[in-house]
Amino acid sequence: MRRSLPSLIAVAVLFLGWEALCRGFGIRPFILPMPSLILHDTLAAWPNVLAHTWATLGTVLLGFAASVAVSLPLAMLIAASPTISAALYPILVITQSIPKVALAPILIVALGANELPRVIVTFLVAFFPLVVGTVAGLLATPPELIELGRACRAGRVQELLRIRLPFAVPFVFGGLKVAAALAVVGAVVAEFVGADAGLGYLIQTSMAFFRTPLAFGAVVILAIMGILLFQAVTLAERILFPWSSGAASPPTSS
Amino acid sequence: MIRLDRVRKSFGSVEALRDVSLEVAAGEFVAIVGASGCGKSTLLRLIAGLVQPTAGHVVLDGRAVTEPRAETAMVFQAATLLPWADVLRNVTFPLRLMRRAGGDTEARARALLATAGLAGFEHRLPRELSGGMQQRVAICRALLQDPRVLLMDEPFGALDALTREEMSLELLRIWQGREMAVVFVTHSIPEAVLLADRVVVMSPRPGRIAEIIPVELPRPRGFEQEGSPAFQAAAQRIRALIYGGRASHAA
Repeated sequence: MRRSLPSLIAVAVLFLGWEALCRGFGIRPFILPMPSLILHDTLAAWPNVLAHTWATLGTVLLGFAASVAVSLPLAMLIAASPTISAALYPILVITQSIPKVALAPILIVALGANELPRVIVTFLVAFFPLVVGTVAGLLATPPELIELGRACRAGRVQELLRIRLPFAVPFVFGGLKVAAALAVVGAVVAEFVGADAGLGYLIQTSMAFFRTPLAFGAVVILAIMGILLFQAVTLAERILFPWSSGAASPPTSS
Repeated sequence: MIRLDRVRKSFGSVEALRDVSLEVAAGEFVAIVGASGCGKSTLLRLIAGLVQPTAGHVVLDGRAVTEPRAETAMVFQAATLLPWADVLRNVTFPLRLMRRAGGDTEARARALLATAGLAGFEHRLPRELSGGMQQRVAICRALLQDPRVLLMDEPFGALDALTREEMSLELLRIWQGREMAVVFVTHSIPEAVLLADRVVVMSPRPGRIAEIIPVELPRPRGFEQEGSPAFQAAAQRIRALIYGGRASHAA
């Protein structure tokens, strides 16, 4: 608690300064609303805001789950063979060079205005760092540890499951933390393009009617969602793999 | 016990070992010294069955070594412990991996850790241990496999000088109580002389055996023998072989 005190004070000062700035200069609310007004308007529309929040959270979690389900096996394939790695890496890089905002409308026309294209966009935004992180982890296993496995006559599957995969855990969690934050970005991008619910949709419709405070409220909720997901991943790591979370970088054996 | 017969090993166009012939008797302690790149580690990996010779034979107990065998166990320069497993699980890891773990494995592991001065540390994680303690765990891990040949690749190379001397004596104590040959790769000439029955001196590019020097020092050995004429003679001879005519004494 004592360690988080300075950051709490800093955030409080930031919001107070913002409030004072808006009041002092008489900035009109649809250009930059004061924090108190954002809070008031968001609470006034709370049931509605909550419904949109759940919609976005659903997309985020589904997209995040899809990233995990695809990235881990994909990373194992890439790490297992230089040939597969050479074949797949360029494709992965291409998917990352395409702006997902550009892809979203195409996907929505192709797949219909439902949850699926939104989950796919979320997945596309979130999965790449997870693949890269996991591959790095699988390949970062010290060669001596691999040799130890071979000296004990471990097969490739045993080597992967009992040596490489556990060793990659800190790297996987590094990727998961980035993916969790990016999943929120992906979901909002998808909602901007084609959705009838969700915080991204709420921001767009609010701005169409110059209800800026409500849009700001949605932004704040998105930020909180990102922080909570990140913390959830950190907590899961601490509980499931206590040996992993203590070290910022992967533990070395020296 | 171990016989290498005119072994050659090339990696691509690089010849790592040429015409290496060597025999190690059961229970013998052999040290291998040489400059970097003389193929000492390759030699060890050939005996371990981790790499195959390009030409010649590696024979262990009358059978050619074509894959890692249960008779050999290896200790590396880095402790290479599993960072996620506690000390006890690290020590039992090879046996569990080979599905050779039995009901008494854990008890034997605890006893072994106790003889290595690690009683009470069974449930610590590797990162909570000092470098010397980690290496003790790695040695226990190898010993638990009850190897007839212990292969050690510069096992004390990453340790500080004091820990190193302490560990050398401890290794001798452990070795004396067992029917186990040791092949010990090192950079340190005094270490080789102190430990070994015979010191194999290798010369680099391509790796060859320059000479095999018997060490005529009584056992049990200790650092007080460093001053003895036999110790000095062996060390001088090894130094001369490694440096050749040049630079055996600095200005």
